[in-house]
Amino acid sequence: MRTLAPLPRITGTLLLTAFLLVALTIAVQGAFQTRASIADTFSHQSRIQAAQIALEELLRLQIVEENALRGYSLTHDAFYVDQYRAAAVAYDGMSRSIRAALEPERLARIQQLLAEYARIQNQWRDEVATPLLRHPNERLAEIDKRNKVFSDYETRIVAAIRSELETSNAAFARSTQAQLERSSYVRAFWLLLFGLLAILFNGYRSRLDRELEEERTTTEILQRAFRSESVPLPHCDVGTAYRSASRGLAVGGDVFDVYRLSDTLALLLIADVSGKGVDAAVLTAFIKFTIRGMALRHREPGAILAEFNAAFSLAVRNPYLFVSMFVGVLDTDSFDLRYASAGHDSAFIRRCDSVQLLPVTGPVLGVMEEPFETRSIALQAGDTVVLATDGLTEARDRSGSLLHESGAMRLIAGSPQGAQALADDLVVQVRRIAGNRLRDDLAILVVRVNGAGEADA
Amino acid sequence: MRNLRIALLLALCTVLAFAPPALAQCNIHRGTRVVLYSQTDDPDVLVWDSRFRLRDYHAASFDEAQQLLPHAWLVAPGTRATVETCVSDFVLPRLINAPDNAVGIVINTGPRRNQRGWVLGSDIRPRSPH
Repeated sequence: MRTLAPLPRITGTLLLTAFLLVALTIAVQGAFQTRASIADTFSHQSRIQAAQIALEELLRLQIVEENALRGYSLTHDAFYVDQYRAAAVAYDGMSRSIRAALEPERLARIQQLLAEYARIQNQWRDEVATPLLRHPNERLAEIDKRNKVFSDYETRIVAAIRSELETSNAAFARSTQAQLERSSYVRAFWLLLFGLLAILFNGYRSRLDRELEEERTTTEILQRAFRSESVPLPHCDVGTAYRSASRGLAVGGDVFDVYRLSDTLALLLIADVSGKGVDAAVLTAFIKFTIRGMALRHREPGAILAEFNAAFSLAVRNPYLFVSMFVGVLDTDSFDLRYASAGHDSAFIRRCDSVQLLPVTGPVLGVMEEPFETRSIALQAGDTVVLATDGLTEARDRSGSLLHESGAMRLIAGSPQGAQALADDLVVQVRRIAGNRLRDDLAILVVRVNGAGEADA
Repeated sequence: MRNLRIALLLALCTVLAFAPPALAQCNIHRGTRVVLYSQTDDPDVLVWDSRFRLRDYHAASFDEAQQLLPHAWLVAPGTRATVETCVSDFVLPRLINAPDNAVGIVINTGPRRNQRGWVLGSDIRPRSPH
């Protein structure tokens, strides 16, 4: 069955989905951006805190240098000279390492103070430490005073660096807090927007579902009203099956009919209307009763299709609606089947173990005015006519491959003998092939000839 | 009764007049006995001959500070002194924003005994009563 989607509904759903996706994308992207920004700030803070710890170590090394010098001055023990030199090397390394670690932070003031600290410490080594190491016995008062000046100045430098680092750290902490607050507001905004869109989307979907359900219910009621009741035919078994593809989709325009035209003639009809919904369902009724009326007059399938084609073109102005149809008139005494097929390529005869495809004898209805050829085939006892809609031949397996006519013929050949059993088996097989998910509606009409001597089913 | 009130008022005035003056914001009184002690890692104390040189020393660059050294003498930590005066927040050290007091003292012990000078407020510690 051919389907035409309700475009405005799809557009509305797509639009809302797009809004939701955009809101979600922006929210997620914003969250990642905030995370990166906060991580960057934490990285700055981490470097500052590491510098604070290293500064205390630097101060400790400076004191170790001075104490080692005092120790040497008092004891003249070479141990203190080694200790002094080791501390001096460690001090220089630590000083360089702090300055390098703070380089990315662009804290010019701190860099300047650190450089000044290193310069003063070197000057102290030259003016205080080296003279004392050379002349440990001459501990002059002047050198002591100078040492005090160095000590005072370096103490002030360290205090200034501490203060600068604390200020920077506090600034980063404030920045982090501000970012977190801003991020909370932004997240709340996007959450609210996303929630509102989701509510809107849900409401819209509910309305669509309700509309679809109402339409589906209406259509099903109409179709049940128009669907043929089981009509017994002399010397024949009749089996039928109808499966809708999905409850979510509107009911389509598959129709079949078995109708007694006289004591010995029966009309066999199967048709597939393009489209779905109420229009298609109403059209199936139009087809069914119009064909019955025409068949009562003509009894010639080709003529029936030609007349119906003209009536259809006049009655239905929708250029997107067309119908594929098979019409057969079966003589239940002679088992002669006369038929015409308007683009309907799912009509088969099963005879013994072989299955034969009944050819199309004209174009689909509603497209052009062409004559429809009537053909005849003499059925024998045991022969079975299988008529189906394209839900059979266009069934797809899980890999997407179509069953085609050849696959349908294989299925029919392997199905049970009884008419109803065959119809039911075909439905089961198609479901199995399609992974229990029918993509299209499926209508099946099966007529099995029992022969004049056999009891009717 | 009236004479009693006048007597009480006079007594109060007398007490106020002879009490040691509390130096504004210095939190230390003239006559307070103190011990000189600088920072733990270098507890020697520089005593200056003038409060202005004390101020200039702490506000100066390193090279400038060295030029002022002839006007200071170094005393050992633990040297005792008596407070003579205090000027609040007189010293504004270079690099750090922490004003300090200038305290005028008389040294009581050591080679500089009886010499007067000026030290930072943070270089003095109250002496234990014992």
